[in-house]
Amino acid sequence: MSKNLSRVVKLSLFALVIVMALPLLVSAQTPDENTLIIGQSVDVGQLDPATINSRAEANIFFHVFGTLFEIADTGELRPYLANAYTISEDGKEWTFTLNEGLTCHDGEALTAEDVAYAFDRAANPDNGFTGNTSGFVLPSIGFQGTRVEDELNVTIITDRYQTPNLRLALISEVYIHCKDAYEAMTLEESAQNPIGSGPYRFVEWIPDDRIVLERVEGYTLREANFQTQIWRVIPEASTRVAELIAGNIDVAANVPFDQSEAVNASGVAEVQAVSGTRRIYVGFQFGENFADAPGYDALQKTEVRVALQYAVDVPTICQTLLGTSCERASSMVNPPNNNPNLQPYPYDPAMAEELLDAAGYPRGENGVRFETVLMGPRGRYLNDANVVQAIAQYLTDIGVQTTVDIRDWADYSQLVRPKEVGPMFFLGTGGGTWSALYDMADLSGPTAGTNYTNWNNSEWFELWDSLADIRDAEEERAVVNQMLEIFYNDPPWLLLYFQPDFYGVSNRLNWNARRDEWIVIYNATLK
Amino acid sequence: MVNPAISISLKQDVRRPSVWRRARFSLIRAKWPLVAIAILLVVTFCAAFGPLISPKDPNRQNLVLRLAPPFQVEGANPEFPLGTDGLGRDILSRLIYGARVSLLVGLTAVVIGGMLGTSLGVVAGYFGGRVDDIIMRIADVQLAFPFILLTIMVLVVLGPGIPNLVLVLGIGQWVTYARIARGQTISQREKEYVEAARSMGANHWRIMFRSILPNVLAPLIIISSFNVASVILSEASLSFLGLGVPPTVPTWGGMLAESRDQLLAGKWWLAVFPGIAIMMTVLAINILGDWLRDFLDPRLRGAGF
Repeated sequence: MSKNLSRVVKLSLFALVIVMALPLLVSAQTPDENTLIIGQSVDVGQLDPATINSRAEANIFFHVFGTLFEIADTGELRPYLANAYTISEDGKEWTFTLNEGLTCHDGEALTAEDVAYAFDRAANPDNGFTGNTSGFVLPSIGFQGTRVEDELNVTIITDRYQTPNLRLALISEVYIHCKDAYEAMTLEESAQNPIGSGPYRFVEWIPDDRIVLERVEGYTLREANFQTQIWRVIPEASTRVAELIAGNIDVAANVPFDQSEAVNASGVAEVQAVSGTRRIYVGFQFGENFADAPGYDALQKTEVRVALQYAVDVPTICQTLLGTSCERASSMVNPPNNNPNLQPYPYDPAMAEELLDAAGYPRGENGVRFETVLMGPRGRYLNDANVVQAIAQYLTDIGVQTTVDIRDWADYSQLVRPKEVGPMFFLGTGGGTWSALYDMADLSGPTAGTNYTNWNNSEWFELWDSLADIRDAEEERAVVNQMLEIFYNDPPWLLLYFQPDFYGVSNRLNWNARRDEWIVIYNATLK
Repeated sequence: MVNPAISISLKQDVRRPSVWRRARFSLIRAKWPLVAIAILLVVTFCAAFGPLISPKDPNRQNLVLRLAPPFQVEGANPEFPLGTDGLGRDILSRLIYGARVSLLVGLTAVVIGGMLGTSLGVVAGYFGGRVDDIIMRIADVQLAFPFILLTIMVLVVLGPGIPNLVLVLGIGQWVTYARIARGQTISQREKEYVEAARSMGANHWRIMFRSILPNVLAPLIIISSFNVASVILSEASLSFLGLGVPPTVPTWGGMLAESRDQLLAGKWWLAVFPGIAIMMTVLAINILGDWLRDFLDPRLRGAGF
């Protein structure tokens, strides 16, 4: 009986799949030898190099714009547009020497003046830029200004000393563009018409569909093995996988682990799994604009926030919803740079309940201690909507009645940047392995653009400022460890995990996925 | 003294079976509408008594038991006869609760759209002239937008949620009712009974809604039965697109949406069961609507099933 039933169901399903797959089969094609097609889940918001708001945008921009240095897949920092740098005695001024003969895509010579312009333009508040460069990189290095020394030498002036690795990594995220080209454009125009300095030039952007790039002939700083790159927007993970299996794309980002088997069995592509560096967390919102939100008052208490760390079974979430045994975070810093003395909070709901009782939030007659809201995105991080719902269930289980508010990433990201998410919100921010301070730079100041929780622990920020005067690596390490302890004991985040990443890669391609989510693909080759 | 011819005619009228009796005979003769009624009764029962008959809490997650297959398929868990979804929630319980949203949205939206559209249509048809022009041009403007596109635009602005969904779907339906009510009213407004009411001093509102409306209701009732099915499908489509109700509220369309990422992984039960629920309900409503059309329209009586 069950066998017959199963056969009927399978036959029906087969018919359904055939009908659904017909359009795909009709449009199936193998990209030509000169074209590389990458499928990402989100589109760019605009095309100005000073406004980078997501890794998906950064991935595309990195192929259009050069940077002074580049972070290699090994974490090593290697020269790019610049070939050398010197640091002033007080460590506040960094002078970069550019390669000779650089040009932007419109033919304009790229000189020290252009590099200075790219930094100054991003920092200029009149331009109203948001995102990675103005909201994270420049505040993190304490950017004060620039000085053009001569045609090939430019000095970046900051207000503090910083570990060279960290500073170089941060500066490697500023996209260099030419002054004359951008001064001739309004902000509206520059948001639509990027004029780059990298190995690929911009050809066209069809919103919600694709961005097409074309190789810059004669570009010598980086190899560019494909004539054309097409970055397609395919929001649905299953559609990306179907496109990959159909041979319509070469690389699919964020492949759900449940579909790895289907991809590997296709004979067309394989899934590459990497242990990522993105920190996934639930932020507790301290901003007063959420003062009337349910649960806000309770979440201001350190004891409550610590209690909630014990409530969520992160290993089970990883195993079941992410398909791997990812390690639970003990801080915001990626291993191996984290504080070795800090152990991840274990899953211990009894402890969570005990701490909430002690914090003055016993269960009421209906079993509820307090109510709150957890906001989260859909379609940005690995299985994000399901992870958000699972966390809400765990919190509800210990009496913190949690309602989820899930939005599409396009809407959600618009709320994250102005810090209008809360009283709890799910988020992931990119990290690195080259410096603990790089990961900690999210919280470089109470008003830093990436301090999405508006956390304002004075001890933390005093120690952050003190790092500017420390030159000794061991002394710096001690302060870092102390800061991470503060973070651990007064957590602005509900610490979750470092996101594993799954990429579907066509069998025709030689390319290896990186841990830090950068899709750097100019050097990919055909097998 | 009674005229024999008249007395025979009266006798025949007295013997004519009541509407309910005729409906019962018609249903028994047609058979398929009876099956449709049975299906709808089951769905209505699930919607009304969901919390009592549902074997599990539809939102209770069990990550360890996620994606358990149904029936006797290898790896099935007898506690979950229709299997579990990606968060380990019981699919059977979610189907039962999902009936609530589907019926609630379907019926309420049709009532809203029907009342609004019928009222405006009767007014337009009765007064004619400029009033008619204004109402029908508004209807034309709305018709110029594809319905699903209009709904998506409004939901993006208002935000997802059951009240907004019902409102949008209801307002999206009014034009159909307005056009039919207007046409019917135009054909009725010059009839003798309307003239009689007017000559007896009845005001416009009384004539429109007491005299004319009962005579134009039959086609509107038929249309509304089909509309319930189409609104249920729209709700499922919008939930599938993530614009319907929040993901924690179980709906059939939402369940289908959640199944997308699992279809290639072979987890067919996530899509098949809500798909069957939607199909059966819509089919049942359409069969019933067909029968109702035949039954209320004497010209079609005897045709169909």
